[in-house]
Amino acid sequence: MKTDAELMALYRRGSRDAFEELFARHHRRVIHFCYRMTGDQSRAEEAAQEVFLRIARAAPTYQPMARFTTWVYTIARRTTLNFLRDEKEHGEKVSIDPTGEGRDAADGIALPDSREWGPEQSAWGAQLQERFLEALQKLPEVNRAAFVLNRGEGLSYEEVATVLGVTVQAVKSRIFRAREALLAELSGLLE
Amino acid sequence: MGCREIREIISAYVDGEARPEEARLVEEHLGGCPQCRQAEKRMRDLGMAVARTERAPPPDFREKLFARMEKEDLLPKRRSIFAYSVRWAVVPLAAAAVIAFFVLSSREIPRDHPSTAMRPPTATVIGGELSPEDREIVASLDVLEDPDLFDETEIEELEFFAPPPRQRG
Repeated sequence: MKTDAELMALYRRGSRDAFEELFARHHRRVIHFCYRMTGDQSRAEEAAQEVFLRIARAAPTYQPMARFTTWVYTIARRTTLNFLRDEKEHGEKVSIDPTGEGRDAADGIALPDSREWGPEQSAWGAQLQERFLEALQKLPEVNRAAFVLNRGEGLSYEEVATVLGVTVQAVKSRIFRAREALLAELSGLLE
Repeated sequence: MGCREIREIISAYVDGEARPEEARLVEEHLGGCPQCRQAEKRMRDLGMAVARTERAPPPDFREKLFARMEKEDLLPKRRSIFAYSVRWAVVPLAAAAVIAFFVLSSREIPRDHPSTAMRPPTATVIGGELSPEDREIVASLDVLEDPDLFDETEIEELEFFAPPPRQRG
């Protein structure tokens, strides 16, 4: 099986199949990331399309310095950030809490194991999902991106640091703050 | 280290990102602090909510994207089946043309080297035996080779004996 970097090289030489393979490998993760960052299905789709267009446009200058996935997330994060800024400028986006940190919310919340959920708990889970997405959108973008990349997309702290262009220690702090803020937001639903 | 200070390390510990010395510190602290044990559990549980926020790609996502890419000339267009048929038909057609050329040109080999195909058909004995008529003609061959041995009436008789064109098979 060809690596992502090899597929990029083939695409650069005009292979449609190579791009289709790259798309098949990465489109789900890009859509998930965009959805978690924007909190809206249609905006996520639009942003994800833009991510792949940017990947294609950047192909001629692509250098396989880091993991392809890390590069994709870097583009995806910048793209969603632009979307959010544009929406904020046009007043279309719910205001983002500029602080979203400093609250210790780890107490008083207990989430049951989803494998043991019955119909009532499934309905509760759907509500939790909705509330969770809303809570994510209230986080400062830097904290949200760090948390989503690590907990949602499975990137290590070091990879998150590469994507965000910050230190590993900064990633550690941002994820902790995001966690605390999310637990504080969701406590109302659970208590 | 107090609970407030160690919570950030617990967060990294939950993510499997704490250094070995930090992990030891956390485990020691959790052993003696029920509140932080509860906090650690809730941090882990939060991951469950993240997993529930996945969305299936829209069914037309791929088509929309590829259409945009083709419009921007970022994606080579897929060739039609007809184009592929024509391209692949060229190979056997070219091969057939080459074979036909050699077959036809082989018929123009100089007469010094006549091919088997150029030789006149040779008489063959069908069934391995001569018919009575053939035997009579063969018996008269010595007469044909020496015209002085017969007169005109004999020639007419010989013409009578000439066998009709034989059909093979």
